[in-house]
Amino acid sequence: MGDIMKEQQSAAVVRLSKDKHRSSLKKQLKNQRTLILLSIPFVIYAIIFCYIPLGGWLMAFEKYKAKDGIFHSKWVGLQNFTKLFSDDIFLKVIRNTLAMGIINLVLGTVLAILFAVLLNEVRLILAKKFVQTVSYLPHFLSPIIVTGIVFDVLSMEHGIINQVLIALHIIPKAVNFLAEPKYFWWIVGLTNAWKETGWNSIIYLAAITSINPDLYEAASIDGAGRLSKIWHVTLPGLKPTILILLIMNVGNVLNVGFELQYILGNGLVQSVSQTIDIYVLKYGIGQNNFSLGTAAGIFKSAVSIILIVVSNQVAKRLGEEHLF
Amino acid sequence: MKKSKSAVVMLVALAMTASLAGCGDSGAPATTTAAPAETTAKAAETTTAAAADNGGDATTAAPAAEETTAPVAADNGENKEYSDDEIKEFTAFFAVPGDELNAGNRVQEAIAKKIGAKCKMTWLTGQSAEEAVGGFVALGEYPDFMDGSTGMSTLVEAGAFIAIDEYWDNYPNVKNFYSEADWNKIRNEDGHVYIIPQFGKVNQYDTSTVHNDEAFWIQTRVLKWANYPKITTLDQYFDLIDSYLEANPTMEDGTQNIGYEILTDDWRYFCLENAPFFLDGYPNDGCVIIPRDTQKAVDYNTTDTAKRYFQKLNEEYAKGTVDQEFATLNYDQYISKVSSGRVLGMVDQYWDFQTAENSIKQQGLNDCTYVPLGIVIDEGIREHYHSAPALDTSNGVGITVSCQDPEGAMKFLNDLLDPEVLKLRFWGEEGTDYLVDDDGMFYRTQEMRDNAVDKSYTNANLCPYSYFPFYGGMSFDGKNAYSPNYQPSEFYESLTDEVKECFEAYGVQTYVQLLQPSEENTPWYPMWSYSNALTADTPDGEAWMNMGEVKHEYLPKVVMAEDFESQWTEYLDVYNSRCDINAFLDGINAEIQRRIDVANGG
Repeated sequence: MGDIMKEQQSAAVVRLSKDKHRSSLKKQLKNQRTLILLSIPFVIYAIIFCYIPLGGWLMAFEKYKAKDGIFHSKWVGLQNFTKLFSDDIFLKVIRNTLAMGIINLVLGTVLAILFAVLLNEVRLILAKKFVQTVSYLPHFLSPIIVTGIVFDVLSMEHGIINQVLIALHIIPKAVNFLAEPKYFWWIVGLTNAWKETGWNSIIYLAAITSINPDLYEAASIDGAGRLSKIWHVTLPGLKPTILILLIMNVGNVLNVGFELQYILGNGLVQSVSQTIDIYVLKYGIGQNNFSLGTAAGIFKSAVSIILIVVSNQVAKRLGEEHLF
Repeated sequence: MKKSKSAVVMLVALAMTASLAGCGDSGAPATTTAAPAETTAKAAETTTAAAADNGGDATTAAPAAEETTAPVAADNGENKEYSDDEIKEFTAFFAVPGDELNAGNRVQEAIAKKIGAKCKMTWLTGQSAEEAVGGFVALGEYPDFMDGSTGMSTLVEAGAFIAIDEYWDNYPNVKNFYSEADWNKIRNEDGHVYIIPQFGKVNQYDTSTVHNDEAFWIQTRVLKWANYPKITTLDQYFDLIDSYLEANPTMEDGTQNIGYEILTDDWRYFCLENAPFFLDGYPNDGCVIIPRDTQKAVDYNTTDTAKRYFQKLNEEYAKGTVDQEFATLNYDQYISKVSSGRVLGMVDQYWDFQTAENSIKQQGLNDCTYVPLGIVIDEGIREHYHSAPALDTSNGVGITVSCQDPEGAMKFLNDLLDPEVLKLRFWGEEGTDYLVDDDGMFYRTQEMRDNAVDKSYTNANLCPYSYFPFYGGMSFDGKNAYSPNYQPSEFYESLTDEVKECFEAYGVQTYVQLLQPSEENTPWYPMWSYSNALTADTPDGEAWMNMGEVKHEYLPKVVMAEDFESQWTEYLDVYNSRCDINAFLDGINAEIQRRIDVANGG
């Protein structure tokens, strides 16, 4: 499909230089009418659910009162943004969000690739299918259940981690992991990894199956063992997929989620546990300051867009697969 | 390679649709937050019962013994029964934790047949009240009835409520629920009444038997073991727990006893932070100490008493008496620990852990239920744990602008105050939930009492509509209390032998008598109805919020610190630099003065 589009586009470009703009546009529209028709529902969807709500951004520049509504609230310009960036708490929140986002990105990508490659090497089909299915399951668990499991695993009284560490004489007495700010990001990161690794590996497994088997045969004839086949055939074959997903995930770095941090957090670790989303909830919705919350939300979107454009450009410069 | 490339493009397209869908979701944080709510199968067991059985929470309170215009019966010609298709169904959301009743709840149906309406009530789950209320305001759509709890000011400001006083002329039970003077206290600045404080009304006189408020609680087995000593100071309290724990490290079944538990989850961290003013002998104003003579607010967070209290907790934590993982427990985990009967003592509001105590009773661990102690820091201080009921004007139930049938809603409120309906709400159905003796006094069999503390039974059968207005104190028949737990005879009969023995040892008949009798309330009491309504918009509100933030983080640290002194100093430094205490006290003092003026008719 992509190839057809590219051919049509280049044809159109050639024509554009010769004919009048209008008639060429008409032709182009006619040529691509199926594609356009196909895309209409999605464009409408995007307009309704992604663009119209942007009108709410006006709140960030007002002192919004629910009673007066968006159109009658007092206009305050950038005051909310000034307040936001002079707030120590918000600066910490940005740090936390970035830190957890990067941990998630790295663990999520590396573990998923590793898992997909290893799983691909399993020759016993039944075992492979079984492992695959089991590893997807945590993805479908509600964060509530996941955090319940985390609480149990880390519990001081009967948590398996404390019991194992004590049995191995690594620690003298039970540690309250959730009370230590220094562990929090990693607890969240590892929990996410446990939950999503199986699911994230699907896309890589699919990409691996589309690698030409001739390449593996040729490598075997050249005397490559399992490891060198992984290194010289599988991973290079995966590279385009990895890059595309990485670019998209970089744009998502700030979407570190909300539930895990919200539920696992407590007073002792609040300086490292709060993310932008929690801040929006707590100070925006909770304190009835919708304007401040919206401003924080806008900041988050702006940073995400910058991140995705930058990573895309980097990929482009390096001559690699890129998104746009 | 070409093939693999187009595969990638397809995958990307797929992934993008998925992320598009994701972006639709993220527009509505309110719905996502509903999820954590579900958490708590256990925690949800909390409060309805608490409120139901005891008529409310800390707030309870009612202007004592003032003249009451008796409510009139529902005007449906007495015996008419509404059929199913005539019954209106309203919706309500109360921003406090509670239990959802089963569909077809027996008493709810009985009331519906009588008055032609019922109400499906939903409760706070997981989030804080402010967040839940904020979600409704953002949406602009509300259930028919709402009580915003600590998010009340947001609701009123957003114009979520209709003015009840514009409708109430046809609904005398509502109009006469409070006196004109009391309504004036409740009126908004614009002169309208938007909410009806539910827990404010006592018919004839208060019959409190249960101390529904805060105290240092202790299990009766501990007192019995020490032969019922007199415990008044903090040191004595912990000495008792320590020596009991040393002699009895485990329960009969081998589970470890926990000497002292502290709840620090979200707003419930009062269990850790507010004891200092009680220890100094002040009543629960919630946010400050206000000496009666000076009438000026004092910050209790940094007093010598506060330091001594936290130092004591710190020592007990180091000894292992205080639960080592207290600081990370959420409310569910706390309730499940207390329910196990392992916890010897804690500071809490009774309504906050009543579910746990019911569960202890159900398991037959009768020596593990709690009695309140009025602990002070030094001998000779008179404690004020029990306060006389007071009208809390900051909270109540209101009819929202989304309600399609405000007249019907008013009629519903009106009918719920019918004496017969009140009896159904709090006692249940005669013959099934209670019996009547020859003198007209209500009583229950042991089976009925057991049912009344069994969650699964009450959810299917009883319906107190606990967050709708009701009369506390006495029933309108003039003989019985409004609810079984307030009926002295019935209350005493329902006690376990262990508690009776404990009461006998101390020469009392009720929980309340274990504490000093309440004094007449000051005109400004309770100040928490002011601080609860603060938002970060005002200087005192901002200071109050920062105080909460700092205390949430540092107080558990102080308790757990290896070096108490340096951690305490660090706490004070951060506290003083982050919070504008003077702005806070100024706001409080202004409100005290305002309340004094209102009381003086100003």
